[in-house]
Amino acid sequence: MTAPASVYLDHQSAKPTDPRVVEAMLPYFGERFGNPASLHAVGDAATAALGEARLRLASALGAASAKEIVFTSGATEAANLGISGYCMRNRRQGTHVIISEVEHISILNIAKYLGKNGFEVSRVPPDQFGRISPEKVRARLKEDTLLVSVGWASNEIGTVQRLGDIAEALAESNAVLHTDAVAVQSQLPIDLESCGAHLVSLSSNDFYGPPGVGALYVRSGVKVGPVMLGGGQEDGLRSGTENLPGIVGMSLAAEIAARETPADGARMSELRDRLVEGVLASIPDAHLNGHPTERLPGNAHFRFDGVEGESLLLSLKDKGISAATGSACSSKTLEPSRTLISCGLLHEEAHGSLEFTFGRWSQASDVDRVLEVLPAIVGRLRELSPIYRPKGPRDEVNT
Amino acid sequence: MKSTQYSEATLDHFRNPRNVGTLDGDDVALGRVGNPTCGDLMDIYIRVKDDTIDDIRFQTFGCGSAVATSSMVTELVKGMPLDEALEVTRADVADALGGLPPIKMHCSNLAADALHEAIENWRSGITPEEIESHGIGAPACMAIEESATASIEHYMGKGVFKSVGDLESLRDQRVLVVDTGEVSAELAISLTEVSGRVVFVTRGKTLPYSTDVVERVARSDVKVLYECELVDVGGEGVVERVRIHDLDEDDEYDLFVDAVIVAE
Repeated sequence: MTAPASVYLDHQSAKPTDPRVVEAMLPYFGERFGNPASLHAVGDAATAALGEARLRLASALGAASAKEIVFTSGATEAANLGISGYCMRNRRQGTHVIISEVEHISILNIAKYLGKNGFEVSRVPPDQFGRISPEKVRARLKEDTLLVSVGWASNEIGTVQRLGDIAEALAESNAVLHTDAVAVQSQLPIDLESCGAHLVSLSSNDFYGPPGVGALYVRSGVKVGPVMLGGGQEDGLRSGTENLPGIVGMSLAAEIAARETPADGARMSELRDRLVEGVLASIPDAHLNGHPTERLPGNAHFRFDGVEGESLLLSLKDKGISAATGSACSSKTLEPSRTLISCGLLHEEAHGSLEFTFGRWSQASDVDRVLEVLPAIVGRLRELSPIYRPKGPRDEVNT
Repeated sequence: MKSTQYSEATLDHFRNPRNVGTLDGDDVALGRVGNPTCGDLMDIYIRVKDDTIDDIRFQTFGCGSAVATSSMVTELVKGMPLDEALEVTRADVADALGGLPPIKMHCSNLAADALHEAIENWRSGITPEEIESHGIGAPACMAIEESATASIEHYMGKGVFKSVGDLESLRDQRVLVVDTGEVSAELAISLTEVSGRVVFVTRGKTLPYSTDVVERVARSDVKVLYECELVDVGGEGVVERVRIHDLDEDDEYDLFVDAVIVAE
């Protein structure tokens, strides 16, 4: 028996680096190894490469100026700089912060930190599909609201927010809008100038660039203070010698993404729709989480009555399939996903969640493989489960 | 260590669980521990002959280690005298599996507890039927704690309603219907026509209504929270969440909803 080919459908967790990107990075480990801060010729070449990369990233993402891009070690650091850095720098103007309940765990924890350091944090619940309503944001605005953070899309359930409408709700206030754009990267086109946010956190890997690099977009005129202190790189906002190979890689990856995302997105939506239709048709008491249409092209997020998510993951792993779950049993805190709970699910329902995320190289055969094995996996776990009670059909048979 | 870094023995028991199922008969007792809310629920059935575990079966909802520990405990104690089986500890089960990830030692290692529960239920003469359905016919009374009445008044008309004139007004809303009698159960069923999310909160372990209504609720998409009460309603100006008290577990949690119906 040969082992089945492995199927990777967890692109929200990690993406492979595009080979074109790897190739472009290689010289920066070798002959172009310089430090942009050095005053000699090797340093000058590095300074030039850094400037080019910044410009390339800014134009790929539709920023008005390269000065609006601050390179970081990833999206988490970008969010720390964007949220904490902004709030600490401007705390004399206000100490109230609003975040959505469907933020990524890193944003929830940054808000928690602010809450412990003199800020008041309000949280906006989503509707059952994971959408944040501008009215609910507006209802929480106060005179001293400094910042609002709403993720552009949910990395978990894939719901895409109407960011422009949320920005409009803040128009009359003094608050700036931060958005974590990671989930939409390589899924939907990004235009920073028109997106409505003042601060945007980005990761390199989510453009199929190298991990360990990210960037914060800071709209001109918005004042941020550093959270990482040192030699004053990145205009004083992010100290530490620049990760030049990574930055070069990220900027090329973003350029490729800007070009290829429309076609990638169309292909991923087709795969996603086939998976969703197939799963809902072949497995009873299966549900799609998130919004039926306003969702990322590459995201399919299910829950199955009476089945626990970690058990699903282990069983899929045995079949060579990589997926993700919002179940508590697979998390560090043993708490189920906040996103699922805030959409109105009960804990026991959140435990039964299973997430598939497609990527640039996903194929129809990946979907076929999942559809081939998942019904039996869910069926087996339900046979083991004392809480699974089938709906309708069973009762009709009995009567 | 990642929570899913399991030993080969644990994975084997997860993949090929032993003694799955239920048992029937006068010589059978059931031990049930855990709570689906926490992600684990285990049922262990024992058949007792001459004060010895003659046969044993389990059903488990839970993660990999929850399934594996249940399976392992059934293997460990099959044929064992009851007194000896009472001595089997969680640690014995984990050891027999070659250890468990530390984070799973407490949350998903309840199999020994379920076994002990089954033995104690056998000795106290509590039947599986009593455990499955204890509290049948609990009186229908408002599933509202007194502390909630002020917040219900506060949000009246702002997400809390005493009646629903037009179902359409609640389209795509997450609705919590408080058990105030058979009519409220009927209302919950009809709300599923416009909303994918209808939760019915009742103090009972079962619904003490006509078989027809009980069956229609079971077939519908209404999510029933048994043995629970509404403790509080909250939100920014309008209803955004409720606090639920689980009477059985004596645990409280938030549930995100858009509307609460307290039918008169």
